[in-house]
Amino acid sequence: MGNTEITTTPELKVIDAKPKEKLFSRKNKRALTDPLSDNNPITLQVLGICSALAVTVQVKTALVMSLAVIFVVSLSNVVISMMRKQIPSKIRIIVELAVIATLVILVDQILKAYMYDVSKKLSVFVGLIITNCIIMGRAEAFALQNKVWPSFLDGLGNGLGYGLILTVIAFFREIFGSGTLLGYQVVPQALYNAGYENIGLMVLSPGAFILLGLIVWVQRSITKKYVE
Amino acid sequence: MHKNSFTLFFAAIVTIVCSLLLAGAATLLRDRQQENVELDKRTNILASAGMTEINGKPLTRADVLRIYEEQIRSMVIDKNGNKTDKSIDELDPKEDGEYLPLYYCVNKDSIESYIIPISGKGLWSTIYGYLAIEPDGKTVKGITFYQHGETPGLGGEIEKEWFTNNFKGKQIVDEQGNLTSITVVKGSVKDKISDVSKRKYYVDGVSGATLTGRGLTKFLKEDLEKYEPFFKKIRK
Repeated sequence: MGNTEITTTPELKVIDAKPKEKLFSRKNKRALTDPLSDNNPITLQVLGICSALAVTVQVKTALVMSLAVIFVVSLSNVVISMMRKQIPSKIRIIVELAVIATLVILVDQILKAYMYDVSKKLSVFVGLIITNCIIMGRAEAFALQNKVWPSFLDGLGNGLGYGLILTVIAFFREIFGSGTLLGYQVVPQALYNAGYENIGLMVLSPGAFILLGLIVWVQRSITKKYVE
Repeated sequence: MHKNSFTLFFAAIVTIVCSLLLAGAATLLRDRQQENVELDKRTNILASAGMTEINGKPLTRADVLRIYEEQIRSMVIDKNGNKTDKSIDELDPKEDGEYLPLYYCVNKDSIESYIIPISGKGLWSTIYGYLAIEPDGKTVKGITFYQHGETPGLGGEIEKEWFTNNFKGKQIVDEQGNLTSITVVKGSVKDKISDVSKRKYYVDGVSGATLTGRGLTKFLKEDLEKYEPFFKKIRK
């Protein structure tokens, strides 16, 4: 690496040190943690709403969906970042789409082979990850301009941010809508005998919308950002 | 700016790599996926006949395959209810009316139940399931629904045990021997059907899923009518 030359000139040393920034430098950490709250893909960028409503009736489906999205968005960011210098700009969108679609179909095939029950419940929504704006958005906005490692962290962060909101919504929808959690009964029978009933609204899409609205409200009043 | 030739070259490479990956994955996983579909079908056939567990434990993959091999037989009947020498595998599912598939569950040479596939429109989707009838040709032994796109928590509740258990012991024919089928009521049978002797033709509905129940009632009747010639013979 020509280290001997560099040690003689201090200025060059600084330049050489730059690409070797720490794996979790502040910038990289932000790429990972920003999407969890301050720049959450669902609650702030309001992307991926359709799937957030569709798969959050039960925690289990929400978790599997989250894992699928985390896998796809991290890997698509990595692959696109690796090709960022070669991708001809004229066809970059279709190349991104090809990469994403390939990954999503892979996930779908694996789910069908190893988690058939869940795959039946998720049905078309796994396939629809292809059109999830979060993934395309991260490829366009981040992976095309950044190195592989930060792109991976950005993808991971956005996937986690998406998964976090999905899981929280699913948690409340399953408890209040069905009285269960991951399929286990948590609302005691005594409560039903006393006249308690599951909230039917929670298993329908409007229930998810209302919860999502509440989450956005809580989040903004805590972070004090974007408050008008 | 890249040259057009490079753009074409790049597109070709991406396409080839992606298609190779997918073709590889599809080929590698195909066997296991088909096995899952078949296993799912068998699990549901067994479940409709009341076999969902051994010694209090849910059936494993191996259990399902073993019990299915031992106890489930299949045949094809024609629309007059006569047995044909066709095998169930050569039956085209889209072919309607002429020939019907029929499964039956045997235990030491005696027939324990007849199992028929049922399907039809619910509210949002086509619902698929199996209905098991006791050897008397009148009484429901059990029912399962294995594929549907109804709202989870509402129409989707039809696949849950609390709903399917309601069907057990219900009658599909009245005292005169006419097909009544089974009707899903809106609400509970106790409140809706005052005549106690008629309650055996009705099951409780799912609250918030009246239309799913209505669809179910309709296709259950249609499917049972198709098999009625066969069951008439059984009842004699």
